[in-house]
Amino acid sequence: MIAIHVGQLARKLGVHRNTVTNWINSGKLKATATVGKKYLIDKNVFRIFCREYGISENILQELIGNETVPSKGDLPFTQNLNFNSKEVTMSAKPIGSVLVVGGGIAGMQATLDLANSGYFVHLVEKSSGIGGAMAQLDKTFPTNDCAM
Amino acid sequence: MSEVVDVSGEVGNFVVKVKKNPRYIDMEKCIACGLCAQKCPRKVDDEFNLGLNQRTSAYIKYGQSVPLKYAIDGETCIYLKRGKCKACEKFCPTSAINFEDQEEIVDLNVGAVILSPGFKPFDPSGFDFYGYGKIPDVVTSLEYERLLSSGGPCMGHLVRPSDHREPKSIAWIQCVGSRNTNRCENGYCSSVCCMYAIKEALVTAEHIAGEGLKQSIFYMDIRSHGKDFDRFYESAKAKGVRFVKARPHTIEAGQDNCGVTMRYAQEDGQVMIEHFDMAVLSIGLEPTTDVKQLADIFKLDLNQYRFAKTSDFSPACSNRPGVYVAGAFQTPKAIPRAVTEASTAAVEATTALIRSRGELTQQKIYPSERSIANEEVRIGVFICSCGINISGIINVDEVARYARSLPHVVHVENNLFSCSADTQEMMAKKIVEHSLNRIIIAACTPRTHEALFQETLQETGLNPYLVEMANIRNQNAWVHQREPEMATAKAKDQVRMAIAKAALSVPIERTKVNVIPKALVIGGGVAGMQTALSLADQNFETVLLEKSDRLGGNAWKVNTTDQGEAIRPYLESLIKRVETHSNIQVLKNASVTSAKGSVGNFSGTVQVNGGQREIAYGVAVLAIGGRESRPEEYLFGQDPRVITHLDLDAMLRDDPASLKKAQSIVFIQCVGSRDERRPYCSRICCTHSVKAVIHLKGLNPKMNVYVLYRDIRTYGEREDLYRKARDLGVLFISYGPERKPAVSLDGKDLTVKTYDPILRMPISIAVDHVVLAAAMEANDSHELTELYKCAANADGFLNEAHPKLRPVDMSVDGLFVAGLCNYPKPLNETIAQAKAAAARAAVILSQTEMTLDAIKSFVTDKCDGCALCLDVCPYRAIKLENYQAANGQGHFRIATDKALCKGCGLCSATCPKGGVYVHGFTMDQLRAQVVAALEDVA
Amino acid sequence: MAEKFEPVILGFLCNWCAYAGGDLAGVGRLQYPANMRAVRVMCSGMVHPDLVLEAFNRGADGVIMMG
Repeated sequence: MIAIHVGQLARKLGVHRNTVTNWINSGKLKATATVGKKYLIDKNVFRIFCREYGISENILQELIGNETVPSKGDLPFTQNLNFNSKEVTMSAKPIGSVLVVGGGIAGMQATLDLANSGYFVHLVEKSSGIGGAMAQLDKTFPTNDCAM
Repeated sequence: MSEVVDVSGEVGNFVVKVKKNPRYIDMEKCIACGLCAQKCPRKVDDEFNLGLNQRTSAYIKYGQSVPLKYAIDGETCIYLKRGKCKACEKFCPTSAINFEDQEEIVDLNVGAVILSPGFKPFDPSGFDFYGYGKIPDVVTSLEYERLLSSGGPCMGHLVRPSDHREPKSIAWIQCVGSRNTNRCENGYCSSVCCMYAIKEALVTAEHIAGEGLKQSIFYMDIRSHGKDFDRFYESAKAKGVRFVKARPHTIEAGQDNCGVTMRYAQEDGQVMIEHFDMAVLSIGLEPTTDVKQLADIFKLDLNQYRFAKTSDFSPACSNRPGVYVAGAFQTPKAIPRAVTEASTAAVEATTALIRSRGELTQQKIYPSERSIANEEVRIGVFICSCGINISGIINVDEVARYARSLPHVVHVENNLFSCSADTQEMMAKKIVEHSLNRIIIAACTPRTHEALFQETLQETGLNPYLVEMANIRNQNAWVHQREPEMATAKAKDQVRMAIAKAALSVPIERTKVNVIPKALVIGGGVAGMQTALSLADQNFETVLLEKSDRLGGNAWKVNTTDQGEAIRPYLESLIKRVETHSNIQVLKNASVTSAKGSVGNFSGTVQVNGGQREIAYGVAVLAIGGRESRPEEYLFGQDPRVITHLDLDAMLRDDPASLKKAQSIVFIQCVGSRDERRPYCSRICCTHSVKAVIHLKGLNPKMNVYVLYRDIRTYGEREDLYRKARDLGVLFISYGPERKPAVSLDGKDLTVKTYDPILRMPISIAVDHVVLAAAMEANDSHELTELYKCAANADGFLNEAHPKLRPVDMSVDGLFVAGLCNYPKPLNETIAQAKAAAARAAVILSQTEMTLDAIKSFVTDKCDGCALCLDVCPYRAIKLENYQAANGQGHFRIATDKALCKGCGLCSATCPKGGVYVHGFTMDQLRAQVVAALEDVA
Repeated sequence: MAEKFEPVILGFLCNWCAYAGGDLAGVGRLQYPANMRAVRVMCSGMVHPDLVLEAFNRGADGVIMMG
């Protein structure tokens, strides 16, 4: 989290303070008002914002002072878990979201694991509710728990 | 209500076109009151109950649906088809009906895709000999599930369809649409039907009162190859379920079209005619009908049965990078495997996208909390009408008037919908305006809505635990619809009880623990290595402990996977990657010697080559493996020609020539499994045997190969191997535990004697080799279970937290299990479970700190250290400590571990002195509720 | 007695099973008499014997533990 005044941020970015206010009001830059006319901005949100508008990420480093940003993706990407397949390398940064097709027990579990470890998930289900076939079962052995 | 129509791009950057079908009901506005369904005049078959009853066009899939929002079925709705009706629109209290709703195509930009479209239950209508669809009392197993279910068409009172009478004798017919290449193309075993049939038979006994219930299961092989499944099978036999080894060939309707008459041939060839009140067809699982379409869209390879093609070494990876598969889409499987492999697919996706973790997710920020320590109690009561759900029965104005008269209450109001977004805003304003510091919401159930109101409180700077709900909808208005006066009186009592409790509420802090982003993996076999590698690939530092001096474990001793892929090259490359990975530290000749702490924050010592070393880690994965047992029968160890499976694999590797010369080989199954000492199935031996006999027949087609078995358990698509072995002329002869085969030495000649149940006579086979399917055993986990306070089952296999829903988590948070130490399993399932363990572990490791639920026990000054509570705590969260009291006197006192405590309060109920309570449920609060509930009683 | 006897019953409902079941009864519109007052607890094992005695002491005709 970065806590900063609009004016401070404007000076760092070399824009007018009204511009920053406009960004915040229009939702371009997600920030939450907090005490002392300061705004709270999530580091990751700010990083994405910087990238989108071509602002040097160094500013982020300056803003958070001595706090270090955990480096991400230092390792070169390889799809190295897929033993038999060809290695796939990607130059561009991948998109941090996953589509899950099917909202049965497997789809739901995959969705939860992904969402809980920091990925945005789109879950697509054909019917009007999730649950799949397991929801139709009365009970499950060996405990004979209700399948719900 | 959406489906994928197109996909482009590649791993890291896919664009997926998704068609959103119209729901005709605004999800934001729908409050699931059900009026639309009540008023809808159009009745159609309810597909959730498989057409056993009817629903309306405006419907909800089932009572506990998520999202709990109604939908209008555009195919059958009278207005949408004929332009007239709109009954639902007239009655909807929130104007949620929107007939203008249109189909919509949206583009989703995603880095990876997981496909889990599920399966289709086999439709037996094509089998005329079973009479399904013609004879009313022939149902499918899934229909039977609905008949049993309390949410189903009979509300849980089982009756047969023909005359709505309780059935007294029921027959299950196994393998309908599975293991069948004559009448359908499904040569595979569906893996789940044996167990669900046994379950249905046992659950039926709970439904049908009185004597005389007869359940019969007609089977080919009972496949109870999962953890504790054989115990379940044995208990069913003990409880009187009859198992008949036969495949019935005809079912005819009984007298007056009620019940069924069935003809089948017994094992000895005798034809039997038997009457049952009902027959249940245990239908198999098939790929969904649109699977081909899905495969075309994603350019996926399917196998001959139209399941997704995967390698045994990467069971969740499809042929297309970035597209992963889970569930029954890959192969028929039971729930635990589906859940496990969903996590496997998740870890494959996260590994592919690791550089973008956390980029698109956000954390919510709340204002800092207001202290209420010195404030008087100021209660605000919000009474919800829930449209007319509540106010239609309960006189909410009267309840509000009553609430105003109660002590501490400074503000009361009625809301049409307390949960709506605008009411939340209004509520926040009122909290500030009236300086409220306790909030009562009289509405629906806290189980679904408490979190919402807690959030509203947090947004105003109040501690979220200062809200209390009175459940006047689910547990009042809805269940007392015919007694409005009694219901109103009850609502008053409920509000009074909530106020009494809330007046004593204090802010509770949610404890946070820092997470050490490091994992400890115990065991350097394939399971341990895969887990370590998956975690390391996600940038988590991992320490891998191996007790011996060599990585690889059992995988060195096995030649091929079940699909016939060579294991050696995979293993060698895996070891190399593990040993060279910068995030993995491999410690050989190492073991854990001490451990303390809890999820996110473990520490302890490990012994490496005799020296001690301190380590700290956030999670631990137990993958200590298992081994092939040494048989104690059939002359094993006395004659070198009697060998085990792994010995045979070694011979096939090193000395195939000597095997090629053999003229006769007998395999004996279940050696040391499914007996008194090891009452479980070792799962892998049947497949291993049929794989081996195929190999041997390949070396020498003239060789006579016999397999003596109890049930052949080549589940899933392994069934193909069994069929191939039979086609190659391998003789399969069954035996029962009461008539086991015997191996004898006659001079130099080795002979196997057994009883052939089809010929009905003993036979004797002269053999060159006897191959024993020796049972799999877990490695000794005693020390680890002591250290981590986790548990193994009676057979020594480490236990998961829940056999179905949490198959890789252990009951101690932060511990995970993978591989043979959990239960015997083939390599592909081990790899899947190892990766799943990594996925589950990564969920914890990817947070910097973990917020724990605040409902935890806490110690009061009254504790005198009598330690009565220590033994009752099911989570071992209480320990005894030396304590220095304020007056300088020292005595024992308990301390609770917040990370381990689950807030069950067994301690508080045990304590005779009020020395330990649970936050939010203190003795005072509960007593206040009891007192308030009984206030009006003379 | 002019009025029909209406017992007052106090129920302790486990949050994870009985209370959830009570909610489901509502969703299914199963009707039952309105004589019970429910106290939600995190586990039926949390209910101290004193609470049960207290309830009878204060005039409850019955106490039901559901968990």
